[in-house]
Amino acid sequence: MGLRDILTGRHQVKGPAPDRLFAISTAYVTLESEHQIEPAGSAAIVFQALATSEFESTLRDMEEVVKATGGDSGTSVSTEDDSYGYRWMILRNPAQAPSVEDLAVGINAVSSSIETAGHGERLLCAVFAFDDAQKRRIYFIYNYKRGFWYPFVPDPSGAQQRLTERELQLKAQMGAELPMEPELERWFPLWGIPI
Amino acid sequence: MSRVCDNQRMASGRTSFGKDTGLQARMLLTLFLLGLVYVVFIGVLFVAGAGAVIIVAVALVLLVLQLFASDKIAMASMGVKEVSPAEEPELHAIIERLCVQADLPKPKVCVMETSMPNAFAMGRSRKSTTVCATRGILELLSPAELEGVLAHELTHVINRDVMVMTLAGFFASLAALILQFSFFFGGGGDREEEEDIFLVVIASMIVYAVSFFLMRALSRYREFAADRGGAVLTGRPSALASALIKVTGTIERVPSQDLRSAEALSAFFIVPARAKKSLLNLFADHPPLEQRLAALERLESQLQSAG
Repeated sequence: MGLRDILTGRHQVKGPAPDRLFAISTAYVTLESEHQIEPAGSAAIVFQALATSEFESTLRDMEEVVKATGGDSGTSVSTEDDSYGYRWMILRNPAQAPSVEDLAVGINAVSSSIETAGHGERLLCAVFAFDDAQKRRIYFIYNYKRGFWYPFVPDPSGAQQRLTERELQLKAQMGAELPMEPELERWFPLWGIPI
Repeated sequence: MSRVCDNQRMASGRTSFGKDTGLQARMLLTLFLLGLVYVVFIGVLFVAGAGAVIIVAVALVLLVLQLFASDKIAMASMGVKEVSPAEEPELHAIIERLCVQADLPKPKVCVMETSMPNAFAMGRSRKSTTVCATRGILELLSPAELEGVLAHELTHVINRDVMVMTLAGFFASLAALILQFSFFFGGGGDREEEEDIFLVVIASMIVYAVSFFLMRALSRYREFAADRGGAVLTGRPSALASALIKVTGTIERVPSQDLRSAEALSAFFIVPARAKKSLLNLFADHPPLEQRLAALERLESQLQSAG
């Protein structure tokens, strides 16, 4: 923000950072082979759905595109609105063939069509679900504004607690493969992830 | 960085919202006028000579104190309590999402236990920010409306309004200081010195009066800018408009005795903590509700027709 922006109180919402989403489509190999963390076969993208007819029609077109590209692998698409007014577009692999690459391609198709429509600043994050050897759910969250990843491990007991120790381990294990968010205070939790 | 984003935007040629050149022009004009008044004031102080230097030094110290301590003092006097994510999960979740959206680090989240619906954000910079909502506003508003209000408050932080207003008000406080202590300068000096002091006091009066109105105008413009910034941040101008209607309606019904204690924080609030309407817009530090609603309505229609 320049001096003039400060003086006039002019603030633009930041658009997406250079895309590092596809880092996950190679990093998952290490997760699987070295850390016994298996892809759960689902991913989601979270964004602010503008209540305009133009945005809704962008979304409809986008869903068609994702269904078409996911047709070969059998990836299904569904949408959900959370209680904070954010829209989740959820992609699921068929149970027998989980593929992180397909999910990343699908998520990228959604984000790039939102960006092409001129609404890139509405993108919040993408979430990829994994399960570790103890069947505990692990999420890797990609923050579009920052272009960084961070792990999010909610406490399986159900309370809104996160297992910070596990998250820090994951950061140490995966730091070389995934561009990790360096500022820990930006590891924002997402409670009630629908995948 | 922001420049790069602007260019990319222009290249893609489409944004959800139009520009607001009129507001920016008015704000720059106000700042220019304030600067002009202050430059003349400095000139007069220099002509008056030595005694004025001490006053400027004292005022500078006060300014630094104000910048670094005012939020803490104000909050301590208001009984504001920091809340953990476990205590207020919804408030935390809304703020966290807005922080992702605005690319801000997470601020301190506080709640004030009063039934008066209001919210404010304080802090000099993005790194040291406190966002506070009253119990009343948490109960009154829906999540989307609350998000609009909090986005408005966070925009104040992003725009560094506390800093801008404090700096812009520096010479106004200096003039006030001189007026208060002008008794001590008189007497004992020769005729020429007395004339100088008279000149300084007159100049201070004029500076104080003029900058008062300019500061109020600036404050109103910054409110508009924060409304706009907040609406752009959430993409839901009408949610903020509906929140403003609800909050204003409730504040006007709440007895004013309860409100008087909150007067000190008024500049930070989303809606001023005063029940009675001001006689003149010129004296108000917040723009009238109708104008804020009209500005938000324009944003909503820009949003709807962008396509």
